[in-house]
Amino acid sequence: MKKVLLLGASGQIAPNIIPAMESHCDFTLADVKPYPDGRPIEHVDMRHYDQVLDAMQGMDAVMNFTVNRPDPILSFHVSTLGALHVMKAAAELGIKKVVHTGPQLVRSYYDQDFEITDVPRAPGTGYYGITKMLSYEICRTYARIYDIQTICFVFNGLGLEPSEPIKGEDFPPFRIFWKDLAHACCLALDIESVPDNYQEFNMVSMTAHQKYTMEKAKRILGYEPAERWENYYKRDV
Amino acid sequence: MNVLITGAESRLGQAIARELAPGNQLRLWGTGDPPSELGENITYFEGDMRDPDVAWHAVRNMQAIVHTGEPPPNLPEDDLACERELLDLATRGTHVLFKAGIDAGIKRFAYGSTLQIFEAYPDDVYISEMWRPMPSTDKFQLTRYLGEMTAREFARDFPVAVTVLRLGKLIAEEDASPQNPDLMWVDYRDAARAFRLSLNRDSQSELKWNRRFALHHICADIPNPKYLVGQISGFQLRGFQPQHNFETIWRGGGA
Repeated sequence: MKKVLLLGASGQIAPNIIPAMESHCDFTLADVKPYPDGRPIEHVDMRHYDQVLDAMQGMDAVMNFTVNRPDPILSFHVSTLGALHVMKAAAELGIKKVVHTGPQLVRSYYDQDFEITDVPRAPGTGYYGITKMLSYEICRTYARIYDIQTICFVFNGLGLEPSEPIKGEDFPPFRIFWKDLAHACCLALDIESVPDNYQEFNMVSMTAHQKYTMEKAKRILGYEPAERWENYYKRDV
Repeated sequence: MNVLITGAESRLGQAIARELAPGNQLRLWGTGDPPSELGENITYFEGDMRDPDVAWHAVRNMQAIVHTGEPPPNLPEDDLACERELLDLATRGTHVLFKAGIDAGIKRFAYGSTLQIFEAYPDDVYISEMWRPMPSTDKFQLTRYLGEMTAREFARDFPVAVTVLRLGKLIAEEDASPQNPDLMWVDYRDAARAFRLSLNRDSQSELKWNRRFALHHICADIPNPKYLVGQISGFQLRGFQPQHNFETIWRGGGA
């Protein structure tokens, strides 16, 4: 079982996928704030290289779910500098697998388009988008030079999968459910290599709009949603 | 035009100041003591670019910003601390500076990036502005490139003209050694000229962001060049022709 450091373990995403992944990997959870149910975690501040390096010792892989969205200073120091610290430490320690995460930067630009795969990174100047975009470029560069297989999952919306029919509303265009994300993360940890050592993947659970495709994630990672979730959004006829 | 020049203590900053001094009001933003001789049209400014209040005072009454991207002289000796400082200056520093410029109503911005982000490509290709950058993890190279990406986003979001100049390896032609000719050489004076010409761009009102943004490779005009300057339609810096082309070194041969 792979030893995996999960950075940002107490954030808005990780606690929702950890239970489904724990039979697949041996997690060490790390964050700067307590885990929701009080479970012990390691304190790792992404701004400090020595903390990141120490936490990564002995790991087979790292999953980086850290982010600071709105703060003019912390966003650069957590999202951008933090990504540099992770990739530097991976290079130094010989860790060959990193799962990085961040926003799909321009989802609404393409609301009138269809069959969309990878899109140019065009975040604009907002702190969340630009700092994560810079982190992607850092990851890509280190992945290329140090042969670190880096899978970058990009999100636009996440949530709990539906369990009963949802009436009177359409599903969001770019959403992944916890169950599917946990599965995708397991695939990312298992895959031996990705083209050019670095690939970004749209994380979506529903594609009936024919808008954002999951073709690349399917082709490279073998990802498929657990169910056809669109069926929960059926209109009665 | 009132022009703010960052990295004014650097050799590039000094060359740009000399190039722009005639006919412009300059505010030199440097580190350390000001130059002993400042012309009547030149003022000196000091402070941390990452402090929004400092940046605001620096950009007040300016009409253009030339952000050289040059590293400051007082970098930490510790390698990691140096890298962190360079990253923070290139990304957050550029963001704070340009945001202050936007708030102050400045319409023209120039940023000095580096051609070294193409060093990873073999020498048997012609590198134009169409190629994807392949920076190394060298702290000076990667952070300069991330600064370029930060600068670019301001043209995307705001009605301003942003010009990125990817400069070759800066050197004075008279200092160049014939033993080690470099395909990427560019003379400081030509780089400074490129910055001056970039301020002529009047594209801040263009509706499409990619017309407000311009990207140019800047290096000497040598025989059989690897790095092409202004050969792609839409990527010419109007009026730019390098004057220092290391002819005594390259004469009679190419790369």
